[in-house]
Order: sequence, then structure tokens, then C-alpha cells
Amino acid sequence: MLSELKELYRYRELLWTFVVRELRIRYKNSVLGFFWSILNPLITVLVMTVVFKYVLNVRVPNYSAYLLAAYLPFMFFQLALLDSAQSILTQLPLLKKIYFPREILPIGSVIANFLHFLLAMGVFFLYLLFVWWMNPGENPFRATVFWLPLLVLLQFCLTLGLALFISALNTFYEDVKYLVSVGLYLLFFLCPILYFVEQVWAATHSPDIPAQWQDTLFTIYNLNPIGMLLVGYRKLMLDPQPITVTRTGDVLETHYLPLDWTMLAIAGAVSVLVMVAGYAYFNKVKWRFVERP
Amino acid sequence: MSQPAIAVRNLVKEFDLTHSGYSSLKGNLLWWRKKRKERLRAVDDVSFEVRPGECVGVVGKNGAGKSTLLGLLARVYKPTSGEIHLSGTVAPLLELGAGFHPDLTGIENVYFNGVILGLTRKQVTERLEKIIEFSEIGDYVDAPVRSYSSGMLLRLGFSVAVHVDASILLVDEALAVGDIEFQKKCLARIAEFQANGGAILFVSHDMDAVRRAADRVLWMRAGKVYQDGPTEEVLSAYERSGENPPQD
Ligand SMILES: Nc1ncnc2c1ncn2[C@@H]1O[C@H](COP(=O)(O)OP(=O)(O)O)[C@@H](O)[C@H]1O
Ligand SMILES: [Mg+2]
Repeated sequence: MLSELKELYRYRELLWTFVVRELRIRYKNSVLGFFWSILNPLITVLVMTVVFKYVLNVRVPNYSAYLLAAYLPFMFFQLALLDSAQSILTQLPLLKKIYFPREILPIGSVIANFLHFLLAMGVFFLYLLFVWWMNPGENPFRATVFWLPLLVLLQFCLTLGLALFISALNTFYEDVKYLVSVGLYLLFFLCPILYFVEQVWAATHSPDIPAQWQDTLFTIYNLNPIGMLLVGYRKLMLDPQPITVTRTGDVLETHYLPLDWTMLAIAGAVSVLVMVAGYAYFNKVKWRFVERP
Repeated sequence: MSQPAIAVRNLVKEFDLTHSGYSSLKGNLLWWRKKRKERLRAVDDVSFEVRPGECVGVVGKNGAGKSTLLGLLARVYKPTSGEIHLSGTVAPLLELGAGFHPDLTGIENVYFNGVILGLTRKQVTERLEKIIEFSEIGDYVDAPVRSYSSGMLLRLGFSVAVHVDASILLVDEALAVGDIEFQKKCLARIAEFQANGGAILFVSHDMDAVRRAADRVLWMRAGKVYQDGPTEEVLSAYERSGENPPQD
């Protein structure tokens, strides 16, 4: 594995050239380039906010901030995986002619999407400052925002590891990219993006569920690493949401769910493991990519 | 005598016909239905050497293993067994437009191709002028590659390949396209490359081109080197055998 890493380092210039190329291709076809791709999540979030605030009557102050805080990282996850799934297959004619470390293709796709994600997060921060400027009061960021780089890094690891698995598998089995896109679609609803993890807590702790299962169920929900990382994004950046448990109309309790650092640590450990495993798997099979007839 | 540029000893490449390659999940889940694994020896116990400055033509009918041999030298495939020793860097001449993205301009594609062939971005910048001049595509370098003719694509690709200072050039049936003028220029460039000690291995079905350029010819048949000798000797035997696919 060490020699593979050295080889990759030797080819770092190609990796960078590939990333630049990906970004060029992405922003080339439109005049507004970058702004279009930023506009897309912003408009999506705007529509979701309108629907949730005014149609479904979700009463959460600054709801769009919570949406963006989870939606932007999820977009990175989704786009990087979909892009990298195809990365080997589309370059197969090139792979059949010339040597370079094959992992450059999926890694390059992930990095290109990652850089885009960082820019989007920059825009998100500007948005928070704008909201704060409109109605000054509390500090727009929580102090824990300084953990953010670590969280971003862990999500990068998870995404990269899965991208390596998926790109390799998709080269051998054409069905993989369909499974991935369906999986991502379902995952979107299984992760706390449109809703809050506090609501999941309330649902798993409803009186319909036997008391001894309640905590276990909630823990199982939080074992999904990408979901847990998204919880992390929200809780590290934004104010906590109150949980209001109502029973036949009476408010029983209102309390705050703190960030579960143990679960976050587990998600982080899983992320790093997935990256190492993905890299090892990719290296094991990468010589067989060109051998498909 | 100096060290050979390419030394190949007992090289074997087997393809796994049933197991490797593209299949659907369904096909793979039904693995028990599969017949016994079949192995195909695309390159079968091949040994030869190429000296610096030598230009070697490779002929043989389709499926003889020529492309696989070049792929092994380009490190695209891992050999099943045998040894390959290369002194210096290898530059495969890429297939028409392989590695070119249609939406990017000629220059942007030159960067990607140059770096893939082992240059740094800085080196590409230094050589950009020369590469563009040699390719003769003029102002089109700033236009997206999708607007290029196949001749232009070939010229640009070839131009990058000969400007990377590799010591071994691999050419797989790529020179067949392009006009006569440019072919002449390529042959001149190849001669210059040879004079500087570069080795060339090139696959072609164009007997005239092989006669003009090659110092020696390898004739491959069913994965093996069937004959290896002076150009005229091997080619006349090869032409008499009628194995060469007809030219269009
Ligand atoms: N990826 C592969 N998987 C299985 N068989 C292959 C693969 N690539 C080439 N072959 C087989 O190996 C043999 C040699 O092919 P090739 O080297 O392309 O021949 P040539 O270039 O001389 O026409 C052919 O029989 C071909 O079908
Ligand atoms: Mg061939």
C-alpha cells in the first residue's frame, strides 16, 4: 500500500491537472459558470423552505440555514459518488493505451466536487452573515464551528472511500451506478436533511415504542455515518433545536439534544476505515479494468 | 554495445475469457451456470530486443497479439509471466482523440495529454509553441476540440507525443489517417527521433509505411513471434502468406 501511495504522489501533477480539467468542463458550458452551480442548491433550498414554512407549517426560525447546513454536504456526497461511478468507464479507451495510477480518476472526481463544495460552504457563510446583518442579535456562529474542518475532512474520507469502491465495481458490473443513484435517493430521506434529528429522537421515544428499545433504535439511526456527519454539521454550526414532546395536546417536556460525540466519533472512525478499505480494494482490482474485452 | 532500449524475455499475457471483464450482476450471480474458465494466450512466450535508434515494425493479422504486446510495454497490462526491461520513458501514441475532451480547447487538451505522458505543466508551457507549430492547426488551438477534423486530432496528438522527450515511442496503427504531407513530416520527425537514440515499435498494416520506416520487422502469429528479421526478408514472406488484412 505504501508503494502505491508513493506512486500516486509521483503522479500528483497529473491528479491536479485532472481536477482542473474536471472543473473546466463543468463550468465551461455556461456563461455564468460557477454561479449556476451555486444557484442550483440555493433555489432548491428556497423552494424547500417555502414549502416547509408555509405549506407544512414548520416553525423553525431560520429554517433555510438548517437546510443548507445539511443539504450542501449531502450534495457533495451525492455528486462526487455519481461522478466517480462513471470516471473509470468513460476513460477506458485512454486506460487501454497508457499507464497512470488508475485511482487518479475517481480521486480527481471527488476532489473536483470537494473544491466546489468548499466554495458553496463559503457562500453559505456569507448567507449566515447576511442573515445576522439583517437582524443582529446573537453571534451567527457557534464556537464549535472550529471543529468544522475536521468534520469536512472526515466526510471527504467517507466519500473518497465509497467513490473508490463504486468506481471499481461499476467497471465490472454495469448495474452498480443504478443501484448507487437509487441508494442515494433513498439516503436523502433517511438522513436528517429535510427534518431534524430531534424529530427522530421524538419519534423513537414515542410511547408506542417499548421503553427498552427506544435508545437502541435511535442509536441505530445514528449509525449511518453520512447521516451522523450531517447531524454534526448542523450542531457544530447552528443553534440547537428544542425538542417539544406533546402528548394529547399537552406539552410534556422541552429540552435540547446535545451533539452525541461518541456517535460522531464512530461515524468518523467508520469514514476513515471506509477510505482505507476502498483504497485497498481499488488497488487490488485496478489491473483488471483494462481486461474487459 | 549499448544497453537495449527494450528487452523482452519470455513474455506471456493470458486473458481470462470467462471471468474478466464486463458483465452484469445477474451474469455474475449465475456463476454456477458458467463453463470452466477459459484462458486465452494473447502474447505467448515472446522474446526480443530493440536497440536505441532502432525502428521496429510489427505485423500480423488481426488478433495476433500486437496491441496486447504494445499494451504490456506501455504498462497498461500486468504480464502473466516473463520480463520487460525498458531503459528510459515510454510514450504511446494515443489513439485518435483518446484523452481529448471535446468541450475543451486544443491547448487545454495539450496540457492534459502532455502531463499524462509524463511532462510537468511547466514543461508543457515551455513546449506549447513548438507543439502547436508542428501540429499546423493554427488558430484552432483555441477552439473546442469537437470542431476538429480527425486529421487535426491526429496531428495534435502526434505532436504532443513527439515533444515529450520519451526514449521509446509506441505506435499502434495510428499513422494511417492524415494527409500525405503530414505523414511525410511524421516520418521525418521519426527519423530525427531515431537519430537521437530513440527506439520505436510500431504496428501497421500499411506495408509501404513499414518498408519506409522500419529497420527490422516482427511478424506475430497467434501470440508468438513467428519471424524476426530484416524488413525486406520478413515482409516478402509475410506478403506471400496473405495474412495482411486488405487496406481500404
Ligand atoms: N481484454 C481482453 N480480454 C480478453 N481477450 C482479449 C482482450 N484483449 C485482447 N484479447 C484477445 O487477445 C488476442 C490478441 O488481441 P490484440 O492484441 O488486440 O490483437 P491485434 O492487435 O494483433 O489485432 C485477440 O484474440 C483478442 O480477442
Ligand atoms: Mg490491434
